[in-house]
Amino acid sequence: MEWLVALEADNNPIVLGRLLNAFRRKGVEIRTLTLGTRTSELSLMALVESAEENVEHILQFIRVMVGVREVACYRHEPSGKASYIFLETDDHSKVAKILVDFPLSKLVFASQGRYLVEVGEKSGKAGGRALISDANFLPFARVRTDSASAQVATRSEA
Amino acid sequence: MSLQNGSEILIESLLRQNTKVLFGVPGGVLLPFYDALYKGDLRHLLVRHEQAAAFAADGYARVTGQPGVCVGTSGPGATNLITGLASAFMDSIPVVALTGQVAAEVIGKDAFQEGDTIGISMPATKFSFAARSAAEIPGVIRQAFQIAVSGRPGPVLVDLPKSVLIERAQVDYDAEPPCSQPERRREWRDSDVERAAEMILNSHRAVLYVGGGVIASDAAAELRELAELTGIPVTTTLMGLGAFPSRHLLSLGMLGMHGSYATNQSTCHADLLVAIGARFDDRVTGRVKDFASGAKKIQIDVDPSEVNKNVRVDLPLVGDARETLRALIRVLRDQIGRGRGASPEGRREWLDQIEAWRAEHPLAYDREAACVKPQYLIEAISEQADEDAIISVDVGQHQMWTAQFYRFSQPRSWLSSSGLGSMGYGFPAAMGAQVAFPERQVIAIVGDGGFQMTLPDLATVSENGIPVKIVVVNNGSLGMVRQWQHMFFDNHYCDVRLGRVPDFQRLAEAYGIQGAKVERREDLKDTLANFLASREPRLLDVRVDPEENVFPIVPPGASLAEMLVGPPVPAGEK
Repeated sequence: MEWLVALEADNNPIVLGRLLNAFRRKGVEIRTLTLGTRTSELSLMALVESAEENVEHILQFIRVMVGVREVACYRHEPSGKASYIFLETDDHSKVAKILVDFPLSKLVFASQGRYLVEVGEKSGKAGGRALISDANFLPFARVRTDSASAQVATRSEA
Repeated sequence: MSLQNGSEILIESLLRQNTKVLFGVPGGVLLPFYDALYKGDLRHLLVRHEQAAAFAADGYARVTGQPGVCVGTSGPGATNLITGLASAFMDSIPVVALTGQVAAEVIGKDAFQEGDTIGISMPATKFSFAARSAAEIPGVIRQAFQIAVSGRPGPVLVDLPKSVLIERAQVDYDAEPPCSQPERRREWRDSDVERAAEMILNSHRAVLYVGGGVIASDAAAELRELAELTGIPVTTTLMGLGAFPSRHLLSLGMLGMHGSYATNQSTCHADLLVAIGARFDDRVTGRVKDFASGAKKIQIDVDPSEVNKNVRVDLPLVGDARETLRALIRVLRDQIGRGRGASPEGRREWLDQIEAWRAEHPLAYDREAACVKPQYLIEAISEQADEDAIISVDVGQHQMWTAQFYRFSQPRSWLSSSGLGSMGYGFPAAMGAQVAFPERQVIAIVGDGGFQMTLPDLATVSENGIPVKIVVVNNGSLGMVRQWQHMFFDNHYCDVRLGRVPDFQRLAEAYGIQGAKVERREDLKDTLANFLASREPRLLDVRVDPEENVFPIVPPGASLAEMLVGPPVPAGEK
């Protein structure tokens, strides 16, 4: 199954090295991978492939890795109900067209010619939905987002 | 604030994490650190190989619940630690490994004894730190300890360049938070716990399937309370031994590949399986699609990535085992108080059925044999050992016989490299446990194969008067491999006979340790009594039946229901 993983993590080469090693060990094939960094944070978006039954485990495995702050997972959604579009292009006009055709859309990720746009499941002008079927675009539905801070942590009294 | 070098800062930081002892071997880049140790108050135990340091730290951590700390120099010192760290990682044991590294300015230039320790350790640790300055050492050490004990525990490595160890810095320790404490995480909602209670109350043939997570979270008391409140029997994994008393009426012992007939049958026929801190590993499940296929499944685990990894469950409760069990018990008590659900008496039919299975095929061996049967040896140790004795095993047949026949009474008293299955673990882990508890009886039960991987540390226990009792279950072969070649490879015995096994009694004596040998069954109990009574390190070499095999066994690829309870009976004798 093809899926997108987007995450934010500490900007630390050890964290990044461990992440990529986890992909290898868990049998995740990387189709495209984009990295962006800020002072203390790195963001990674990868279009990957793995067995469908392993996706949840891999997502959770990545989520609890030390240094990972937030992970989102997007499942390939060819049915037209997609709420996200991933595109890989050097032609910025294509991105601009999506943003026009889907007035409520948001650019989630943009780096090195790769874009993830949130379009919403039911939004879009007439014909906008058809655009999603364009071979240049990969439609996705977000499965879940998890962050380490979502957990309730209490100190041991021991 | 005082001006200290990195080595002094490191020692002060370790002391502030309540570190009592380091297990290690010095080396070139660590000389500044050992110089600070020479002047300081932190105990260091010199072992004879870094792998033993890592295993000793693991043993220390298992019995105390506090991180064990091991030390190795750059390059080979660090790589020698890796097997021990990988074992701790598989078994979720909090270990902090400190490794020396070449000076920062020559990292990456293939300096003498340079190794990419961070790179090598990545898949064998929960996290790795590379210290970049002396000033950041207190923060790095605190984080390392925090990560090691929090959530799902595990090993953490801190790589320390020589230049950092000699750099001087001013550190305000009081600005650092106090000693690290584990975080007890949970992600479940109250409604999830209520649903779990409902599933338990509606079940008739439930089993509590318990792993090392119960021990890691110190939840043995809560587990016992849950079992007695509901009357649900308890089976443990190899890692879970000790979490529930073996002699308890609700104890089913170990399940899986070498689990008893009654235990595996219970799992096969259960209508509800409550997994607590257990990960459905292949040695437990056998053919996974048939594992407890008629049972609804609840999984309590602190690590969300364990949920649905191997077996799909009906209800995951992601959280610390102790906190989750406490919440579950509260809801169950409330429900039972209102007259709901199956009381222990309500499960009588199920418990009677389990008793019937137990009577049908008890764990057995030839009790009349003239030779020393290894199971007889383990039973004798179990009878004679102190109630709070710590048992440390290597890997192989003796490990399984001990798991089957030793009667465990409390948690944190069983040491086994269970996930990685590393031979050479038992003796050094026992050494680490004995350092943690000098007054308790610590017994290393090892095979003659695995023990030969760790012989040099006889010097460590002898020199330091560490009173470990070493029982060598000597069958002259790599027994478990021999058994598999016998059963599954048409008796093609290939390099499993150990041939010239040393005289372990005389070998021990060469290290200044009193040894003894038992070759006849009738000599065992008296010799064992003398051996265990000593307050010194001792070695007992027991020559056991070399052809004995471990039963029951679930053949590879088979389901638990297809277990072999004993050796195949020749056609003419059926």
